[in-house]
Amino acid sequence: MSIDPNAVKRTAEKVLAEEFLSARSKILDLAATLDRLERASGSVENAAQMQLLSQGLKILCDDEFDKARRVQLLMSRQYDPDWQKTYGLH
Amino acid sequence: MDYIDPHIHMVSRTTDDYETLARMGCVAMSEPAFWAGFDRGSVESFRDYFRQLTEFEPKRAAQFGIRHFTWLCINAKEAENVSLSREVIAMIPMFLSAKNVLGIGEIGLNKNTKNESTIFLEHLELAVQYDQQILIHTPHLEDKFQGTRMILDMLMGDSRINRSRVLVDHVEEHTIEAVLENGFWAGMTLYPVTKCTPQRAADMIEKYGPERLMANSAGDWGPSKPTAIPDLIMELKRRGHSRELIRRVVYDNPRQFFSQSKNFDLAALPG
Ligand SMILES: [Zn+2]
Repeated sequence: MSIDPNAVKRTAEKVLAEEFLSARSKILDLAATLDRLERASGSVENAAQMQLLSQGLKILCDDEFDKARRVQLLMSRQYDPDWQKTYGLH
Repeated sequence: MDYIDPHIHMVSRTTDDYETLARMGCVAMSEPAFWAGFDRGSVESFRDYFRQLTEFEPKRAAQFGIRHFTWLCINAKEAENVSLSREVIAMIPMFLSAKNVLGIGEIGLNKNTKNESTIFLEHLELAVQYDQQILIHTPHLEDKFQGTRMILDMLMGDSRINRSRVLVDHVEEHTIEAVLENGFWAGMTLYPVTKCTPQRAADMIEKYGPERLMANSAGDWGPSKPTAIPDLIMELKRRGHSRELIRRVVYDNPRQFFSQSKNFDLAALPG
């Protein structure tokens, strides 16, 4: 048998059928988290973490793909190609 | 299905865990030296730790028919202490001839600091000098992307490094491509909350194929699941993937990678 992962391609219908309940439950978890924040005292509207969450949610809803990688990059510190000079390692 | 866990911290696990892993098909494992959850006080603590990794753990594993291999270094977190790191690095050569040592690791970055980078480069020097394979820890969460790029810069800046003898661990969706396309091996860590789920690991296998790709549990003293590789095997089976593909990732690849180390006896793990 093949070691090519593309030898077995699930159809979109099958993936949706298999993953619907788990995706539904994750959306509910997020929804309830936002409700919990709303019920809590004080405000985090301007907190950096809150901004990241709301930008992350936008990535889920936009028209582009590669969503997991884009969410990861959103949540990442910037890379500076000249870091070795900055650290005096060169 | 027989499998190999190429990154697991058994010093933090119980003997019952060894038994469970054996029952689930684990036939071999490799344990990189890492942070104990607190900073050690002196080089002597590392000496004892290296004895535990090279003398005690292989015996504990053998009771359950599991081959135990290890990697030695001072981890990225304690590497912030440069003078202690240099004492540890100076001590490592005396352990390199122990029968279960595969190389230097898990070296890497934690908060991507100058001191961590300095000690990373000194570990590379040690590995080159003693012709050792290298196992690399990439940072967590928001530090991972930056830290992985810095690590690749240091590895690729040294022409003496043979990329096919280097495993870069804890890759995720935003770091896997750079690691694989530059000729290194990549390890996906199945770890709750901070790293990757079996489902996302299966996605990366589907996207990049099995070449130079492995999975590990990184089971340790924190919230982690030493039996995470069987979870990945289940997920790949559920998606209808072939036994050959699954075996390539969880058995053949770690075996092939380890076999580049002088202390690895290929015959000990049948092909
Ligand atoms: Zn580790």
